[in-house]
Amino acid sequence: MLRPGSRRRPWTFYGLAAFFTLYVLFLYGPMSAIFILSFQGPTGGLTFPMNGVSLHWFSALFGQQRTGDFAGSFTRSIVLAVIVLAITVVVSVMAGLAFRRRFLGSTLVFYMAIFSLIIPGLLLGLGVGLMFQFLGIKPSWYSSALGAQLTWTLPFGLLIMFAVFSRFNPAYEEAARDLGARYWQTLWNVVLPILLPGIIAVALFGFTLSYDEFPRTLIPIGSRNTLPLEIWAMTTNVTSPALYALGTLTTAISFVAIAIALTSIALIQRRRTRRGTRADAGD
Amino acid sequence: MAQSGEIELCHLTKRFDRTVAVDAIDLAIPHGSYCCLLGPSGCGKTTILRMIAGHETPTEGDVRIGGESVVGLPPVRRGTAMMFQNYALFPHLTVLDNVAFNLKMRGVGKAERHQRAREMLAQVRLDQFADRMPSQLSGGQQQRVALSRALITNPRVLLLDEPLSALDEFLRLQMRGELRRMQKELGITFVHVTHTQLEAIAVADMVVVMDQGRIEQAGSAREIYTLPVSAYVARFMGGQNVLTGKVASVTDGIATLVSDTGERFSSPLNGQVVAEGDVLHCCVRRDRVALERVRRPPGALPEPTNAVVGAVHAIEYQGTYVKVTIDVPGREQFVANVVDSKFFANPVDIGDPVVARWVPEDVHLLTTSGQAGETHG
Repeated sequence: MLRPGSRRRPWTFYGLAAFFTLYVLFLYGPMSAIFILSFQGPTGGLTFPMNGVSLHWFSALFGQQRTGDFAGSFTRSIVLAVIVLAITVVVSVMAGLAFRRRFLGSTLVFYMAIFSLIIPGLLLGLGVGLMFQFLGIKPSWYSSALGAQLTWTLPFGLLIMFAVFSRFNPAYEEAARDLGARYWQTLWNVVLPILLPGIIAVALFGFTLSYDEFPRTLIPIGSRNTLPLEIWAMTTNVTSPALYALGTLTTAISFVAIAIALTSIALIQRRRTRRGTRADAGD
Repeated sequence: MAQSGEIELCHLTKRFDRTVAVDAIDLAIPHGSYCCLLGPSGCGKTTILRMIAGHETPTEGDVRIGGESVVGLPPVRRGTAMMFQNYALFPHLTVLDNVAFNLKMRGVGKAERHQRAREMLAQVRLDQFADRMPSQLSGGQQQRVALSRALITNPRVLLLDEPLSALDEFLRLQMRGELRRMQKELGITFVHVTHTQLEAIAVADMVVVMDQGRIEQAGSAREIYTLPVSAYVARFMGGQNVLTGKVASVTDGIATLVSDTGERFSSPLNGQVVAEGDVLHCCVRRDRVALERVRRPPGALPEPTNAVVGAVHAIEYQGTYVKVTIDVPGREQFVANVVDSKFFANPVDIGDPVVARWVPEDVHLLTTSGQAGETHG
């Protein structure tokens, strides 16, 4: 290792440092402004200075209809995200298992599956909306919007499962089979538990991608909004710090989801390496 | 399990796309024996093991265990258990649950299966590690867990895929003795795949030397080592110098061969009928070669009989003997293993001109040339 000062830093260091400063400023500057302003006093406005500190605008979120259908859109978003999570996990794991073997047209199927990642989201949403209109089905958050969101989460889930399976040693399955496990027993007792951290990652992606989704959901959502769409609508007609309170709250929920996922992955890893160290007699 | 663990491979063949991994092999492994499949990587030994285990389906031919064909049966119904290379211990289960896995799959209750798994672990002195995870164990401990996990199925055949390759040298020597002892105690058939010659001859009743999907020679360890059938086996096992020459004359069942470079060797024919001009291969054990330093440069010596002349290329001290490698013009390197007391009584140095002699009684005729014989060594 180099001692500090033993060599001059290259110019790339300063370039990257400057870029990173800008990055932090752009990401956390506005976010912290919104976060601080959401605790604006009851008489405060949309901008600084703070006019006292309170939780007034948080309670306003739940209290007044004037700020939009917060509770309803929030519930819808959570329920939709959980449905997307469930479907994404089940289908991605199954597809991941299927793609371990090369089958006729597997490459074509794979590219068809991930193609939607490069289609502009708004365009895809528009297409889904048009299709439902054409078929005469009323678009809704649990049908058309769900489908549009899955075109986004499934390719991601599949790609993660590819990475997860590429590190999975098939000898575990053979060992299970050798020890008398049938196919389903092997899957349940060996494959899925070993892959669990990866599966949790897929679940996390499914949940957060759905919870934040905007462009694909905008058109096929039907008459009842999810939370991001509701916030969008509110930015045009709400002129109180309640908007900021909403931002703070939804960000907090995203953080909680991520924290749950990462904690459970960490716990599984720890269980595999640290459990049962009580007997410490040497070999 | 009282059933016989005799294994018969009948014309067993495995092809992957175009390549032939195992080429019409016939082999009988007696019940209760320790058999080693030995060969370089890619020779098909692991594929044979996996076909016996039921993890690979033969393209042609039959696998019979205890007189019955087992092709198409799942591993447990064959009465085989496999110990995988790097053990494949389930990383998410404790040592105890790893060992109890087979019982769990068979629906044995938790209390009983844990009880039996603990007894199994006690036999390999690992009971105090029952609640650990596999990653917390040393390589040797993991191997014993893998062994316990396989043996709890009560197999009649235990299949071991490179069981010692993940261990360090010291542990490898210790564990191979342990495996041999265990096999004797259990009285079941062990089939052990390895690419290490000394490992195979140290443990096995029966050594099967393979090359390119075929069996070169199957026999006892001593037979394989001292009486190889082909130049390939002689070179692969490493204890021999292979000599090649044309038959010049035959007297009293002993042929005189002349090599390309003019040396003359005697070789017993063991009843084999040969004609003048036939090319024969024979070998002489490295430890039966006597070494003598010569004053004159090699080119100035008369053409030797039952000897080769060359310059010392390398000297490796091996404890009980010294391995001397000799560069001989026009042929492959010649090796003499000289007992240490003899060597140090009259030492040679690198670059010294030497003559390596042997007596015709120590020459062994190689009956098949071995298709790979010319390219190896």
